[in-house]
Amino acid sequence: MATTTARPSPTAPTTGPAASQRRGRPAQRKNDGVAGYVFLSPWLLGLLTITAIPMLMSLYLSFTNYDVLSDWESMEWVGLENYRTMFTEDPSFWHAVRVTLLFALVATPLKLAAALGVAMLLNRSFKGAGLFRGLFYLPSLLGGSVALAIVWVNMFNRDGAFNQFLSWFGIEGKAWVNDPDFALGTLILLAVWQFGAPMVIFLAGLKQVPVELYEAASVDGANPWRKFLSITLPMLSPVIFFNLVLETINGFQGFTSAFVLSNGTGGPVDSTLMYTLHLYIKGWNEYQMGYASAMAWVFLLAIGLVTAVVFRTGKFWVHYSDGED
Amino acid sequence: MTASHPLPRRRLLRGLVAGMLALPLVLGACGGEDSSDDGKVELSFFWWGAEARAQLTEQALALYTTKHPEVTFKKTWQANQGYFDKLATLTAGNDAPDIFQIDDNYLAEYATRNVTQDLTEYQKSGKIDTSKFPEGLVTYATVDGKLAGLPIGENTQGLVFNKTKLEAAKVPLPTTGQTWEQHIAWAKDAAAKTGVAGTQDPSADYKAFWVWLRQNGKEFYNGSQLGFTQADVQAWFELWKGARDAKATPTPDVIHEGNATDVSKQLVVTGKALTSWVWANQMPELQKNTKDALEVIAYPGDSSKQWPRASMYFSVYKGSKHKDVAADVLNFLANDPEAGKILGTDRGIPANTEIRAQVAATTENASMKQTIAVVQELAKNFGPAPAVPPKGHSTVRSELIKAAEEAQYGRATPAKAAEQFFAAAQAAISR
Repeated sequence: MATTTARPSPTAPTTGPAASQRRGRPAQRKNDGVAGYVFLSPWLLGLLTITAIPMLMSLYLSFTNYDVLSDWESMEWVGLENYRTMFTEDPSFWHAVRVTLLFALVATPLKLAAALGVAMLLNRSFKGAGLFRGLFYLPSLLGGSVALAIVWVNMFNRDGAFNQFLSWFGIEGKAWVNDPDFALGTLILLAVWQFGAPMVIFLAGLKQVPVELYEAASVDGANPWRKFLSITLPMLSPVIFFNLVLETINGFQGFTSAFVLSNGTGGPVDSTLMYTLHLYIKGWNEYQMGYASAMAWVFLLAIGLVTAVVFRTGKFWVHYSDGED
Repeated sequence: MTASHPLPRRRLLRGLVAGMLALPLVLGACGGEDSSDDGKVELSFFWWGAEARAQLTEQALALYTTKHPEVTFKKTWQANQGYFDKLATLTAGNDAPDIFQIDDNYLAEYATRNVTQDLTEYQKSGKIDTSKFPEGLVTYATVDGKLAGLPIGENTQGLVFNKTKLEAAKVPLPTTGQTWEQHIAWAKDAAAKTGVAGTQDPSADYKAFWVWLRQNGKEFYNGSQLGFTQADVQAWFELWKGARDAKATPTPDVIHEGNATDVSKQLVVTGKALTSWVWANQMPELQKNTKDALEVIAYPGDSSKQWPRASMYFSVYKGSKHKDVAADVLNFLANDPEAGKILGTDRGIPANTEIRAQVAATTENASMKQTIAVVQELAKNFGPAPAVPPKGHSTVRSELIKAAEEAQYGRATPAKAAEQFFAAAQAAISR
């Protein structure tokens, strides 16, 4: 709102003389506020009707035994029962937590590393750099797409492209997506492969690093690895931080690929039962929507907590440069 | 924090939520019951299936409109995936379709929560005629003494085998009445001679387990209790561990593919096994997916323990404003010879036995003919049908898959997998 009030409004010609007068004229400020809200209204309406109200509803539902199908009247208040069940009586809940942690903790760093690596390769000027940047970005445009997940499943199936590749070396593959030991691995690979979005942000960040720093380092006789550790990483740390936060949240929310690979079951043998998928099964297959809502809120708090921890650690490794560059 | 002042907030929120959900109800449903005779009626009609089913259904409904010009239909259909999500959402908003397709996975879920109209009155008054239906079929549509849906097709367990491959390798064809042990021995022999796994391992398949249980004097369910013991599950898992060890079945990753319910993924179609465990009425659809000739027989063991299972139902929404008309439409779809001819065996073998005979006599589809013949033959010996699976059944099914796969992948012994399944199944149905 600060920006809205500070800017001269075209419909109010009285802004000229002094901004200091404003403080004493609440009516004027209120007017500006109304205009702001009018412009905000499409977004605000969306936020209220499809985000805020449903969220509040789900918070309420998480204290009930709401089952989707029954009459509204037969819904009962169960207090903290859903939360208690979740932590003490649902082994699948903890299993899903483990699967999700494994997925997010492995996929996120790998994805960021891949994104940074490719961004550094593409940060030089050579013929066709634009084309390559586009090509590498492409997979993430297809982002959470179902089609991509289907392609992935077929690629890692028994007679998929991956096994054909292996067969050139005389290795006989298996149906990786059907094997409980490997299914999650293929999903992690899929997530890592979609590194385009953080890569583009890394690229932008790399462009911001002053060339003089590298030149000075060269004069001092630093090798490329030294330059990477002492210049690139610290200078890039705010961007890394940004990507880390976003991708961690993304990683925890993985759903589509697991859903497609397992036909919505989390199989084989629950190996791809991500938290979100377990939540979906509880709500839509078992009609325990109250329980699913409770799971959603625990999830929200957990992601918030993880993000807060990441922010805390940021103090120790993120360097914001004071200058204007 | 919400817990410390539960009441006011609870009321406020509840009002808000109820208001949003109930709005369509308030706006749409304050009219009285069945005031439809004097005016035009539009019934919403919702089903899952593919393009072919959509065409047949639309033709049959158009025929009804020709005969009753005042009745039109708002038809919605989609693929199976996501169908029940949508139906549940519509139901939650008190906006469920007047007539919807449903199966035994969910019939009890909906019926016990009072979503489906009890059709018993219509059945008694003859407005819905079930007199030509096999008796077991009606039993298999009754939940807590209420007729929760009208069975629209019948099927029963069917073991489909690849005739072409077996004959090429000079392996004797399997026959109805072999014991389970004989079947596994046969599969082992067939696998050795053809180089293709003999039989899909059905230990994750509830319908195979169910038949086997009944042959052993047990049931899958007794009311809303499990009809078997943990020892039964263990014996079942051990039977198939033996088959796997004897190389009568494919490897676990392939078995997993066959554990999916899609017709196109069945191993007998993809050529990865010589037999698949399906519902008999899926035969024509399976045949479309392969060039090899297929044939269907009953599951091993005493086939009289199989039963006429309603492959699908049409249910009427309890909140519908036009229940009488909806009931008449159901009666038409089930019993009208012309409608029966249009619908064919798409949703199962016609429930009405006269129409079934008519379809069998007139169809030119060889696999449809064979299927009807096999089911008719088996039906002569069917014992009493079990009740519809209770609430929680779909969870029990996925728990069985999970536990059986633990055993198939060798991650758990049959005993341990049985213990896991038994506990999970009990939790699922006592919810």
